[in-house]
Amino acid sequence: MLVSLNWLREFVPYEGEVQALGDKLTMLGLELDGIVDPFAPVKDVVVGRVVECEEHPESDHLHVCTVDVGGPETLGIVCGAPNVAKGQTVPVAMVGTTMPDGLVIKKAKLRGVKSCGMICSERELGFSEDHEGIWVLGDDLKVGDKLVDALGLERVVFDFDITPNRADCLSILGFARETALAFDLPLTLPRLNLVESGGDVNEQITIRIDDPELCPLYNARIIRDVTTKKGPDWMRFKLLALGQRPISNIVDCTNYIMFELGQPLHSFDYDRIAGKTIRVAPASDGMKFTTLDGTERTLTGADLLIWDGDKPVGLAGVMGGLNSEMSAEARNVLLEAAVFRPGTIRKTARRLALPSDASYRFERGVDQVMNRFCIDRAAQLMSETSGGKVVAGVASNEPRPWKDRVHGYRHDRCMRLLGLDLEKDFAKRVFEGEGCAVDDTNPDNWSVSSPSHRLDLEREVDLYEEVGRVYGLDRIPAVLPKVAKALEGGVADSEYGFIRSIKLWGAGVGLNEAINYSFVGDEDLDRLQLPFDGRVHIANPLSEDQNVMRTHLAPGLLNTLKYNMAHGNGHIRVFEVAKRFFADAESETETRERLGLGILLYGPRHAADWPWGAADVDYLDIKGHVEHLVRNHLKLSEPEFELAKDHAFLEPCVEVRIDGALAGLVGKVKAEMADFYHARKDVWLAELDLDVLKGLSEAHAIRFAPLPVFPPSRRDVTVIGPATLTAGAIRKVIEGAGVDILESVELVAEYVPEGKQEERNLSFRLTYRSATKTLKDKQVDKEHQRVLEALQAKLPVHF
Amino acid sequence: MNDALKSFLEGLDGLAQDCESRKGQACSLKELEELRIEFLGRKGKLAKAMTELGALDNADKPAGGKKANEVKQRITELMDQMEAELTAAETGRVLSRFDPTMPGRKPWAGSLHPVTLVMQEITSVLAGLGFEYVAGPEVENDWHNFEALNIPPEHPARDMQDTLYVSDKIVLRTHTSGMQVRSMLKKQPPIAVIAPGKVYRRDSDLTHTPMFHQIEGLLVDRNVSMGDLRGTLTVFVRQIFGAGTNVRFRPSFFPFTEPSAEVDISCVMCGGKGHQKDGSPCRVCKGTGWVEILGCGMVDPNVFKCVGYDPEQYTGFAFGLGIERVAMLKYGIGDLRMFFENDVRFLEQFA
Ligand SMILES: [Zn+2]
Repeated sequence: MLVSLNWLREFVPYEGEVQALGDKLTMLGLELDGIVDPFAPVKDVVVGRVVECEEHPESDHLHVCTVDVGGPETLGIVCGAPNVAKGQTVPVAMVGTTMPDGLVIKKAKLRGVKSCGMICSERELGFSEDHEGIWVLGDDLKVGDKLVDALGLERVVFDFDITPNRADCLSILGFARETALAFDLPLTLPRLNLVESGGDVNEQITIRIDDPELCPLYNARIIRDVTTKKGPDWMRFKLLALGQRPISNIVDCTNYIMFELGQPLHSFDYDRIAGKTIRVAPASDGMKFTTLDGTERTLTGADLLIWDGDKPVGLAGVMGGLNSEMSAEARNVLLEAAVFRPGTIRKTARRLALPSDASYRFERGVDQVMNRFCIDRAAQLMSETSGGKVVAGVASNEPRPWKDRVHGYRHDRCMRLLGLDLEKDFAKRVFEGEGCAVDDTNPDNWSVSSPSHRLDLEREVDLYEEVGRVYGLDRIPAVLPKVAKALEGGVADSEYGFIRSIKLWGAGVGLNEAINYSFVGDEDLDRLQLPFDGRVHIANPLSEDQNVMRTHLAPGLLNTLKYNMAHGNGHIRVFEVAKRFFADAESETETRERLGLGILLYGPRHAADWPWGAADVDYLDIKGHVEHLVRNHLKLSEPEFELAKDHAFLEPCVEVRIDGALAGLVGKVKAEMADFYHARKDVWLAELDLDVLKGLSEAHAIRFAPLPVFPPSRRDVTVIGPATLTAGAIRKVIEGAGVDILESVELVAEYVPEGKQEERNLSFRLTYRSATKTLKDKQVDKEHQRVLEALQAKLPVHF
Repeated sequence: MNDALKSFLEGLDGLAQDCESRKGQACSLKELEELRIEFLGRKGKLAKAMTELGALDNADKPAGGKKANEVKQRITELMDQMEAELTAAETGRVLSRFDPTMPGRKPWAGSLHPVTLVMQEITSVLAGLGFEYVAGPEVENDWHNFEALNIPPEHPARDMQDTLYVSDKIVLRTHTSGMQVRSMLKKQPPIAVIAPGKVYRRDSDLTHTPMFHQIEGLLVDRNVSMGDLRGTLTVFVRQIFGAGTNVRFRPSFFPFTEPSAEVDISCVMCGGKGHQKDGSPCRVCKGTGWVEILGCGMVDPNVFKCVGYDPEQYTGFAFGLGIERVAMLKYGIGDLRMFFENDVRFLEQFA
């Protein structure tokens, strides 16, 4: 909301610092965004007088002017405008002046004649679309003055951010009220000086309202014999200062009132209103209506229309109709000032994407009591600026007259809520200062009626806010609350704690935590050949590459890879903890969310070749991370790794199972897919379901095992078998041989005999130990032999 | 003194001199060991000399024995001395080859995302005050995200947040405030919870990303006041930005709180002065000395009614703050988009 300082001062005599006003209102909840000089683009333009004007010797349309700009010497300016003439007072842009469009005025030669400046048109200075000729100013302006000073243009405009509750502050008047309250200054409304010229408006128009809910008040006036022309300068300049382009005296008057008093108005061409009737009634579904911007719009039964005797003539509160628009030739104005149901206007404006200054105000609510003053002042201005005559009376229909809202106010309770201790008088001064009527007959529970412009004061608690706001929320003393707890409260191992522990593990084992957007594009999921079913789509995505929620963490992590590859980072070791989303009709949110952990490893195993030796990460690295997490960090059972066939984007793809539950996958991203992400080496991924891991770890309790007392005995065995036989299978047989004293099995060496690629030798170290005695070699040998026999019996191996 | 004794004693003296003269001969511990055997071994020179002791007169034996012991001790001393010198020389040789400046065999340095770091810091401060963590869905229904928070469908406050919709009634949560509702529906007061998490808006430019992180805090009990809110926020702001940080409450509007306030902190860049050392206006606070950091307020009675709490009995406060904003201020990160690009050179800085 832009607020012009001079306009504001017409209502309230604020003479303090400009910044101080902005700061004070900011602390009242009207946040100052900035202070601008609206006419800064023309600040260097000066007032000049054409002292000589001759035809250009070499041109039939150029003039050679001698212009006095108040300096010791006059300027020679070549001017092409047809209306330039000797004796005119004109705006001059001298050499060096930057024009609003960015053009810098330089010395020039036009057909052999030197030109030192430019005489400007209104359009060149951004004042109107008028470019018929140069702008001829009033002769009373002092030559040599800056144009902005000579015309008394506004130099200070505040830009405030208005929260949706403060509809009352969408006008200069609203800001004047707040300024008066803040600085304890008197507020003066403009004096009404409406001259009515006979007739009876009620004979010329009748207002009908179908549903009082949708339109509690409709006022109309008729102004006859208007001349549509350019509005007066004072009005145009004030509108320009607020960034509103002046259009014509009639339109400017309605805009002027809207900015000044907050009431949007509409002007119909009275002669195009059939049946001397205005009717406020809803549209019907599928109805077509052409608004004054020339666009045909399809309406619904939820849209509210203004009808005349036989057709719709306006989209209530949003935009007038083309069929009743005030044309330049129109003679008679039907002026509308109404109150519409905010939600209805908002719905229509949003559905038709037709936000306007008017709908913005109707959506937030306008002051019903002020309405009459607004239409009277608008009629006065319209009559004054157009020569029109105001027909006597107001055609008014108010099926729902404004009712004062009265709220209780308990001062003690207010003080407890705010944490303040103020005198009751303070609260009373606040309410009365804001225009509320206070009845304090009952000292413990006052009756406070809020004024019609403060639609946000709906409840007792809203009054508390006013007390706090005016006193200053910033002056409330800080105390620390005692947080009371129920005995059964206190969650020791919350989800957040689990997530935190996983993240600390990730950082601890040397991974960098990444955070990707939760959404990717369908294309990203399609590329990884993930199923379309079950995806959660965003109905109004910002872009197609953000239109679906991730069903896997992989697409995000692969995007991380791609970004880093593009920026020359070849070592990628990242992890991410985030949700995965699946459509679920059973859920109240239509979505099932699963917490996942993704790990991506790419590039060299170590940060530098020395002293580790150069090698790229492989399956054992990604698997090692998973094993470390499951066994060492979460202390769960040994995970099992099983090759899975035909996975969408991993090959090989290995399923991770813990106590039989599928906990996730590890594998290598298929080469053709990895290519897309600019990978030049293998990309290893793990995706684990943290909900599964969390469940398992909650069920798991650490039990202390007594330290062994008796010494171990070790036996090594090298198992020679086919290369397709997995280490896991061998280990399973060893562990399943039923040997009680077998304590542990470690793989210690892998060897592929030269020239025998189909064979593999795996050496295991078996540790035997008894909890009750020192084992004799003989006994260990016997048990070890049993293990070997089991291996030979169950697997195609020898030793 | 008889000749036999004299010759025995001279022999022993010669042995000592012999050993002394060969002091520099052993260049290594191995050579020294050979020398030791030559003199002190079972069949060494001293042992040989000692065989003559038995041939001495009984009266001479004590003198001869004493001398023999002295010589043995002397030779042993010499040997030990040589060994010490050789060992020192050897250690020196080894140390002279030891290079303490060789690069170490470092494990990879992992890191937590700056969002996680800030989130942990804030949650641990609040946990210390007694707030408990709660979590909830990121895809939320309209009721929890809007309606129960006093934001009916036609309310202009819906314009305050541009929403990403899954369907008419399902949205990506636009704030963590929906967790207030879920928490209050679950139990009766007193209630003190924090809800950190991802939130989504249909907004993407230099200062907005369509996903970001928030922490929501909620305290409901009898007699909770705005002073309590101010105290709680002051404590955690100071914990995060330093003890000298000031907090400013500005009246504002949120549909689910009444009164509502925006909270500014004194600018961390210029110390709240509004200008840099050279007098030019501070870019972080645009010269105001204050930086907006979060929104808060007293829970609106309509929200209490929605979850079945009696607003006459209970009051409460709620606040929500954006993590990225805090991280940007705290770490001096200028570009919001860096948070989600995951450039490892960015991530590694938070190790
Ligand atoms: Zn600053």
